[in-house]
Amino acid sequence: MNVTASASDTTLDKNLYLPRMATILAVEEMTAREKFFRVELSQPLGHRPGQFVMLSRLGIGEAPISVSCGPRDDTILEMVVRNAGSLTQVFHGLQPGQKVGVRGPFGSGFDLADLYDKDIVFIAGGLGLAPLRSLIQPVLAQPDRFGTVTIISGCRTPAEELYRADLQSWSHKVKVIRLVDKTANLPWDGQVGLVTAPIAQLDLDPGRTVVALCGPPVMYKFVLMELDARRIPHSQIFVDLERRMKCGVGKCGHCQINHVYCCQEGPVYRFDHIEHLPEALQ
Amino acid sequence: MSTFLIRKDAVPDWIQRLARENAVYFPQRAGQSGFRFEPVQEGSEIQFEQYHPTIVPPGKKLAPAGEVLFQYRREGEDAVVEPVVDASFRILAGVRPCDLKGIDLMDQANREGCADPHYLTRRANTAIIAYDCLTPCDKACFCDATGSLRCRKGADIFLTPVDEDVLVEPLSERGLALLAGANFPICGNVEARKAKAEGGRAKPFGRQFKAPLQQIPGIVAKQWHSPVWEKHVQQCFSCGSCNLVCPTCYCFNVQDDFDLTNTSAGQRSRTWDGCMLPNFAEVAGGHNFRSHPADRQRHRVKRKFEYLTKRFEEGSFCTGCGRCGRQCTAGIDIFDIVNDLVDNTEATS
Repeated sequence: MNVTASASDTTLDKNLYLPRMATILAVEEMTAREKFFRVELSQPLGHRPGQFVMLSRLGIGEAPISVSCGPRDDTILEMVVRNAGSLTQVFHGLQPGQKVGVRGPFGSGFDLADLYDKDIVFIAGGLGLAPLRSLIQPVLAQPDRFGTVTIISGCRTPAEELYRADLQSWSHKVKVIRLVDKTANLPWDGQVGLVTAPIAQLDLDPGRTVVALCGPPVMYKFVLMELDARRIPHSQIFVDLERRMKCGVGKCGHCQINHVYCCQEGPVYRFDHIEHLPEALQ
Repeated sequence: MSTFLIRKDAVPDWIQRLARENAVYFPQRAGQSGFRFEPVQEGSEIQFEQYHPTIVPPGKKLAPAGEVLFQYRREGEDAVVEPVVDASFRILAGVRPCDLKGIDLMDQANREGCADPHYLTRRANTAIIAYDCLTPCDKACFCDATGSLRCRKGADIFLTPVDEDVLVEPLSERGLALLAGANFPICGNVEARKAKAEGGRAKPFGRQFKAPLQQIPGIVAKQWHSPVWEKHVQQCFSCGSCNLVCPTCYCFNVQDDFDLTNTSAGQRSRTWDGCMLPNFAEVAGGHNFRSHPADRQRHRVKRKFEYLTKRFEEGSFCTGCGRCGRQCTAGIDIFDIVNDLVDNTEATS
């Protein structure tokens, strides 16, 4: 009786949950809570802006982390990790030369072609700048393909600002508005206020403006109200959502928002596709 | 393929013979009145008449409560990582139609998109001998209402009791192989015999929804701010038992463990998780997208009757096995929730 089938009889990818090992090249402290990681993979990641990877340390665990660099031909991957729990605390203790596991890229991401010839407004709250940088970089690298670019980046205090040097260098090419909720008695050369404030002052043509938005859940509601006031069509607003994820491939159930899986259809969504989806934004 | 007819008392011998060469799981008595899918051993009682649905459905043999995804060995910063895939052969015998349906739905969920190698390798190496239900298992089951009662998909052999005999229908080449050497007599008049057996079923067969199944997804989809969600969590402990015993709950958590005696070695494994548990939809920073039990109950019910049915174009992701209702300490029953949603639609329309 020969009724057994070996795993090789099927076309399964036995490595679905297997991380590829990557070597840490650089770790930089960005704020008290966030560290920047540059790692080297064994082969190019081949990602789209807005995608994420599952980053792990063997024996400790795995978590979804946004890709923070634009698509590249080399084997470099950049990420920002916030120290938010026991796993990310271990990531924060890692040094150059140490290895991490990487699976992915996962998720839909942004399609650059959707943005060609459009004016683009990036609105980032806090850690939201990390994933948006993966789109800002390729957009700024090909200025002829896009219209006017505006970057609005807000955080709570000057000490929590991410990518300060990048924001500075981007400001030589495009309009960059940096804000803090409060200065907390620290030196600050940007504006004070919420990311919603500058939106009313922008020169926006609703017909050709695309907005890419990423930040904490509380930010979306008020930014979207401002964008409505400026009559930006919901089909031209892209939001980047955050969920807990354990697999990245639509199985573990954690990131499910109604019938959609954030790890597959998201985490970047066109706003008109999810505006009536309960639990998506709050 | 030929169908065979054997006396009921010939079935235990055949199952025992299979168990001598294979791992065979069969619902065996456990506790005072329960049954559990346990390996058949010499002397195990093999009978079909006195069955009561097991606490844990047989499909969970394909997705165990905890399983290793890979093992690693570290040498300095370098690591050897080896996937762990269980390709051992097993037979699930005495599987009822509702659980066949559950396994079929899990096959679909695990095949979709990135195919899950761990589940599907086990599935490819699992033969199923199913047994038809001619009477409802108890007052809790509602398999006919969810369209599971007539499920045969995925069975390698299908057994139908006919008076003192059993019809033995191989439905796959593998099923045929499991019958090799059994020398069972070929049966004529198969359709007439089956029709007679199935004609003897009670009508209605078990509990029935207040609306036809094809209308249920639409009814569930229309209700977000329904008082029904709140009503059915008044007593809920958010213990997640309903998730754990559900044949179509497959959410999981992933965790790493290192070997305490050799910290350079360890494994990544997954364990069952459940959307009724309070922190299931929590994200970093503490925001919980389903912080209230009613949010979670709504999510569970919508998964079974709206989200997954839409995704997989199925009539129902609830098999009607009744396990969640039987096991709920607080007596919350998804059958009642659905009927209340039907009533509420009528009340509000």
